[in-house]
Amino acid sequence: MSRPVRRWRLDLVPLILPALVLVAWEIASATGLLRAVFFPRPSTIARLLLAQVADGTLLAHLGLTVARLTAAFVLAAVPGVAVGLAMGMSRRTREGLDPLFALLYPIPSVLFLPLVSFALRQEEVAVAVTAAFTSFFLVVYTTMTGVQQLDRTVLEAARHFGAHGRRFFLTVLLPATLPAIFTGLRLGLGYTLIVVVAVEMVSAQRGLGALLWLSWQILKVEEMYVALVTVAVLGAVLTGAVEWLRRRLIPWAQDIAEVGA
Amino acid sequence: MAPGASQVSIRDLTVAYPGRDGRLIALERISLQVEPGEFVCLVGPSGCGKSTLLRVVAGLASRESGDVEIRVNRPGRPPTAMVFQEHALLPWRTVLDNVMFGPENRGVPRPEREANARRMLDLVGLRAFARAYPHQLSGGMKQRVGIARALANDPEVLLMDEPLAALDAQTRVILQEEILRLWAELGVTVIYVTHSLEEALLLGDRVVLLTARPGRVKRVFPVPLGRPRGLEARASPEFGALVDRIWAELREEVLKSAEAERRDPPS
Amino acid sequence: MSGAALPVLLLAAWEIAARTAVVSPRYFPPPTVIAATLSRLLTAGEFWGDALTTLSRLAGAFLVAALAGVPLGLAMGLWRPLRRALEPAVAMLYPLPKIALLPLFLILLGVGEGAFVFTAAVTAFFQILTSTAGGTATIDPRLVEAGRNYGARGVTLFRKVILPAALPAVLTGLRLGLGLALITVIAVEFVAAKSGLGHLVFRYWQMLLTGEMYAAFLLIGLMGLGATRGLRAVQRRALGWQEEIGWR
Repeated sequence: MSRPVRRWRLDLVPLILPALVLVAWEIASATGLLRAVFFPRPSTIARLLLAQVADGTLLAHLGLTVARLTAAFVLAAVPGVAVGLAMGMSRRTREGLDPLFALLYPIPSVLFLPLVSFALRQEEVAVAVTAAFTSFFLVVYTTMTGVQQLDRTVLEAARHFGAHGRRFFLTVLLPATLPAIFTGLRLGLGYTLIVVVAVEMVSAQRGLGALLWLSWQILKVEEMYVALVTVAVLGAVLTGAVEWLRRRLIPWAQDIAEVGA
Repeated sequence: MAPGASQVSIRDLTVAYPGRDGRLIALERISLQVEPGEFVCLVGPSGCGKSTLLRVVAGLASRESGDVEIRVNRPGRPPTAMVFQEHALLPWRTVLDNVMFGPENRGVPRPEREANARRMLDLVGLRAFARAYPHQLSGGMKQRVGIARALANDPEVLLMDEPLAALDAQTRVILQEEILRLWAELGVTVIYVTHSLEEALLLGDRVVLLTARPGRVKRVFPVPLGRPRGLEARASPEFGALVDRIWAELREEVLKSAEAERRDPPS
Repeated sequence: MSGAALPVLLLAAWEIAARTAVVSPRYFPPPTVIAATLSRLLTAGEFWGDALTTLSRLAGAFLVAALAGVPLGLAMGLWRPLRRALEPAVAMLYPLPKIALLPLFLILLGVGEGAFVFTAAVTAFFQILTSTAGGTATIDPRLVEAGRNYGARGVTLFRKVILPAALPAVLTGLRLGLGLALITVIAVEFVAAKSGLGHLVFRYWQMLLTGEMYAAFLLIGLMGLGATRGLRAVQRRALGWQEEIGWR
């Protein structure tokens, strides 16, 4: 009787702190301790959020952001993995591309927006390309490091037992690099979200970033919070989805905690 | 090769590679014959090249000069299969898939290679773990999978590179018994590298002692202890005498190797 | 053909393409022009003001993030109850693009340095916190035991065993955090500021001074490269005992 109850209680513990913060915020805002202009009550925000979900406006913005995110992510991930594998396997490729990439990587993607917008007339395509920029490098470097850190003995054993050429690539190298690729994709997805939101803040009329920026400009603080919460939830859901996928696809690997670029 | 000839014939093998100051000779003019079904153990000080020798036989390292010939008794049979010290299992494959890896690469159809793999797992006592992943197994179990994988490949010669070195003493003893049992049952030719004299004498028909680098064959010791040999053999007086004899010569080489390292420490 | 030839080839191809108008030289000026523009601007002192502004914002953001993130990360790594209490909050906030907090900070702190620095600081903070906490939590407990065994207690244990053991992760976190802070500062300048390199890029674009714009890109790239390589060198010197940079 004691064991199951205690474990269930223990799982709730992590939620205590955020819940307390919300309650404190609600009270402080309602009693004027916090200025409602800056910190509207969580209940107000929640109500507005639900209303915007109900009339579809929020979902429209969300959908647009997600669409841009998907396009940008695919643009970053597919070439990113390919180039990362190539750089990991071939020293010459690595030496050739590394200086170029190292120089381009620190530049915030959003700076390229004007240039890309001009070169690619289509606005949405420009957004996708801009948001894919830095994420591409993230995926490349994580994948490349993954290849470089492969256990050489495992590769040698695989060759010894007859895996060569194309077979080796498909049945040994790819699965071996999959954990690192996954980490790269997770980081890349997170970063793509950042840039999509930033680009929307700068230049879009619709989308979560635009909603965020425009509501600030007209000082509709509650709406800004609604947009902020939605972005946060989107980020959390995406991270959770990647984690879930990782656990299903590569049950045999741990996540690499950090990757330096 | 002439009938009745050796299973493995190593002649004047020299292995060298470019080092910090010029050419580093790992093995110098090694000659060795291994008979079919024989269990040969290689011992020597650290760095003497015994693992290198094994890797050359396996085709994993290249030689500078000399010959390595492995007789193929049945066409299509791979000449060697190696059991690695760090098991080197493919972590993304289940135990069963790992054992099937060799035959899979040779195009053996699935039902056949799966039946074979299960038989091998039975042999090493891991039938229940066929669907497990390597990271779920203990060190000893992983090594057993490594042995099963090598055996599943049905090689002419089984090569084992200090397979039990990374295990705790108790697991080591259990696996030594298993190796003896497997070898008796399957009759495969084995070349076994170890740094433990006791292990070499327990398992081997002959013990080959290599010198400090550059590795040469210092002496070959036949092991006249009977078969089937169990762990009780360790208690016999002949065993102790053999250990002393070999150790006397091995000790020389170990000291030589330590002296060389003192003179030329790794930077 | 050495691997270093590839970038040279690409630059040469770009140079030719721009000069022969295969690509519009107005929007893709030749690399030689960009390099010349950069050196002109640097010697004329035009960049320095904005570069300095960006650097000071970066320094501010990084200091705030580090001073908050490292101690808290160490604490989280060492005391499990604290970690369990904060972990869900951190996990929930980590995926949030911190730039989305910019409008909030603009409201709270007005349009000014505070908002810019704070947004960048928060971005770096989460990275530094996560890296430090992760690295501290995974210190080999046997090291700590050995330390205690040899008489190190309390502050001494912390200074002589725990801190050095956590140092690789801390430095990696700082390095990543610095990169993130720089990116965020520039992005924020682009979006909302009236000074700084990010804003400069925006102004150049508005005036269609593409050569200057690319020169600014180059400068930003070099700054970022210098910062992370610099920290990596510090890491290498401080951690001569570690086999390789990169904390698994």
